[in-house]
Amino acid sequence: MEFSVDKQEFLRELNLTQGVVERKTTIPILSNLLCEAKGNTLTITATDLELTIRTSCDAKVKKEGAGTIPAKKLLELVRLLPDGEIKFKLLDNHWVQVVSDRKTYKLVGMSKENFPSVPATPHVLVALPAGLISNMIAKTSFAISMEESRYTLSGAKLLLKPDAVSIVATDGHRLALVEADHKFAGLNAEVGVLVPKKAMAELKNLAAEGAEDAEIEFSQDESNLFFRTGKRLLISRKLTGQFPNYEAVLPRDNNKIIALDRDELNDALRRVSQLADSRSRAVKMAFTQEGVELSASSPEYGEAREIIEKPYKGDPITVGFNATYMLDFLAAAVQGLISVELKDEQSAGQLRPLGDDKFRYRYVIMPMRI
Amino acid sequence: MPKIATYRAKKTPPVDNSAPSISPRTAPSSLDTPIAHVDMDAFFVSVELLAHPELRGKPVVVGGRPDQRGIVSAASYEARRFGIHSAMPLRTAARLCPGAVFLDPHHALYSEWSDRIARILGEFSPVVEMASVDEAYLDLSGTERMHGPPLAAVHTLRNHIRQSTGLPCSIGLGRTRLVAKVASDQAKPAGLLWIPAGSEAAFLALLPVRKLPGIGEVTAAALRGMGVETVAQLAAISPEKLQELFGQWGTALHRKALGGDTFEFLIDAQPKSISHNHTFADDTRDLAVLDSTLSHLCQKAGKRLRDARLSARTITLTIRYASFKTYTRAHTPAEATDLDQVILATAKELLAKHRDSRQAIRLLGVALTGLGAAGRQLDLLDSDRHEKLEKLARAADRLRDRFGFDKIQLGGSLREPGDS
Repeated sequence: MEFSVDKQEFLRELNLTQGVVERKTTIPILSNLLCEAKGNTLTITATDLELTIRTSCDAKVKKEGAGTIPAKKLLELVRLLPDGEIKFKLLDNHWVQVVSDRKTYKLVGMSKENFPSVPATPHVLVALPAGLISNMIAKTSFAISMEESRYTLSGAKLLLKPDAVSIVATDGHRLALVEADHKFAGLNAEVGVLVPKKAMAELKNLAAEGAEDAEIEFSQDESNLFFRTGKRLLISRKLTGQFPNYEAVLPRDNNKIIALDRDELNDALRRVSQLADSRSRAVKMAFTQEGVELSASSPEYGEAREIIEKPYKGDPITVGFNATYMLDFLAAAVQGLISVELKDEQSAGQLRPLGDDKFRYRYVIMPMRI
Repeated sequence: MPKIATYRAKKTPPVDNSAPSISPRTAPSSLDTPIAHVDMDAFFVSVELLAHPELRGKPVVVGGRPDQRGIVSAASYEARRFGIHSAMPLRTAARLCPGAVFLDPHHALYSEWSDRIARILGEFSPVVEMASVDEAYLDLSGTERMHGPPLAAVHTLRNHIRQSTGLPCSIGLGRTRLVAKVASDQAKPAGLLWIPAGSEAAFLALLPVRKLPGIGEVTAAALRGMGVETVAQLAAISPEKLQELFGQWGTALHRKALGGDTFEFLIDAQPKSISHNHTFADDTRDLAVLDSTLSHLCQKAGKRLRDARLSARTITLTIRYASFKTYTRAHTPAEATDLDQVILATAKELLAKHRDSRQAIRLLGVALTGLGAAGRQLDLLDSDRHEKLEKLARAADRLRDRFGFDKIQLGGSLREPGDS
């Protein structure tokens, strides 16, 4: 293997693979990148066995072939090299020589035979609009569970219908659901898949890297999901198992409703939560005739109380919420009015942005017992 | 059990003056009416002696057999003369006093007697806080008409406890709980000590700082490093200086040195951690033994957590191998919990993840930290299950309160969190 690439172009693709390369792995080959030179293209592949990213850049290939290079060292080195051409050459013992101008480096590689094989991409099922998907991931991925033990909650559910797409994520305490209208050519039936948290993050990166109107080709085999945009391919292992029946927990009869300005609510919550208990982040939200009162107290710090004035004629109610859960949603919602819909102290509350004309976005959040 | 008021708890925010109601929880006791601290003398030993009167006057150690690995839970005053004290390894105790009588502990029995004492105290004053199995604080405000002046009242109380249970106790009287506790300690055994208002400083002055409740080995060592040995020396240091050295704890230290006040005591009433350890009689590699021990430890810790109306944020597992190499590993789940099942599942996960199965284990420990009383996050997806577990825990706790801890245990039949 012998080829040369342009530094900036190569660096851009290298950066994309970093999220996937394992830092602390028990399998050494997984900290390496697979580099394959063929025709006039260099293809690089990174995998942690759960997630694989494959991308490529133009190259002048002198001798076709493949080798593996330690990913972190390669990235650090390429970052520091001056712009221009970088030459790579596979040496004996899997070492790889890197030459930039009159600077020469030799990196300890490993045999390409040990690199996990990459599954072949099946035929494309449907094309997803990249901008739309990236937006929808931002509105939901924060609600994916961090607890590894709650296996099926450690990913989001992507649901494709012939004329709509939705993503839903929950950690058992709150749930984010976003839907958008989109006609999918060639899709006749519903397709639902569970996408792991890390894959969601990488997919968003990939979508954001491409052009505004780029498309992501989606396909799947028995155990993997494939997302391709241009020359970049993301492969994720499917999460198996049953995603909870989320439709059953969506509130239907929350009749205590106030619409509040997103920024006003966000700022008030951020201030009040400063004095919330640092363990639970509990903030009380009370609907009264004056408006919405937010309050919090903690034995260590003190107490806070704010009133957002707003006419309200319904029954008064006081419910406790985790401020972090609220703020997560407010950061993802569009500006304008947010409809806050409650039922009672023990039932899920619902938040919806009223000014969103592109997405149907709802956020369901369980109270805290205070 | 009579309803026993507690003012264990919390640093409550300053009471709103406009609030008309004064509950016993926040009502400060009047300055002239002292607080009584009732402390049972060598409680476990005394209970054992009820069944073995022939051992009276002999050095008696409760904790286990002298060749076992455990520690001394309690020692009779006769045994203490040989230098035996609680928390000392049983083998050391046996060396110090080969003639001592060693008894296995019967915790269920002790908690039964503890409940009986709590009932007696509850008849005596409406405000009783059982601080542990063998000690309690009583607010004597308003009891004067019934029981007479404080010293006479506690004299009656001590005799009453003795007559109806056969168990000896010591009682300290003071303006604050701290002074009352130190006084009962000084009055032991079977004594009464009243520190009248105004004489607290003089009483505390010559005592070593270690005698103040809440000052442990670590703080005492730090103070010793500064040349501070007695409470008087501690009281002489400015609060600013103490705060500089110990942070918030410094402020509390200063108040303690002066005999403290009610508010100050309440700060320390909430435990910072709850932990239970078990040393195996024989080192073991047997996962079934380890798991069941873990289950027992988690349930004990969980019970104490719920009794204190707290929930824990972090669960820490301690593993000590036969080589004495000791490891602690912690996990902080997304939500604080007070459920045995959640604590156990986390502890088991930690054990599975970090145990070196080639090495035999000598000791397992479970510690709960990040304690607080804050509200619980309700569950969106399986609220029923959580609710059921909670009800189960409360029911189990009630049964344990009546019949003893070992009478009810988690079975293998319960689903664990994470299973679905």
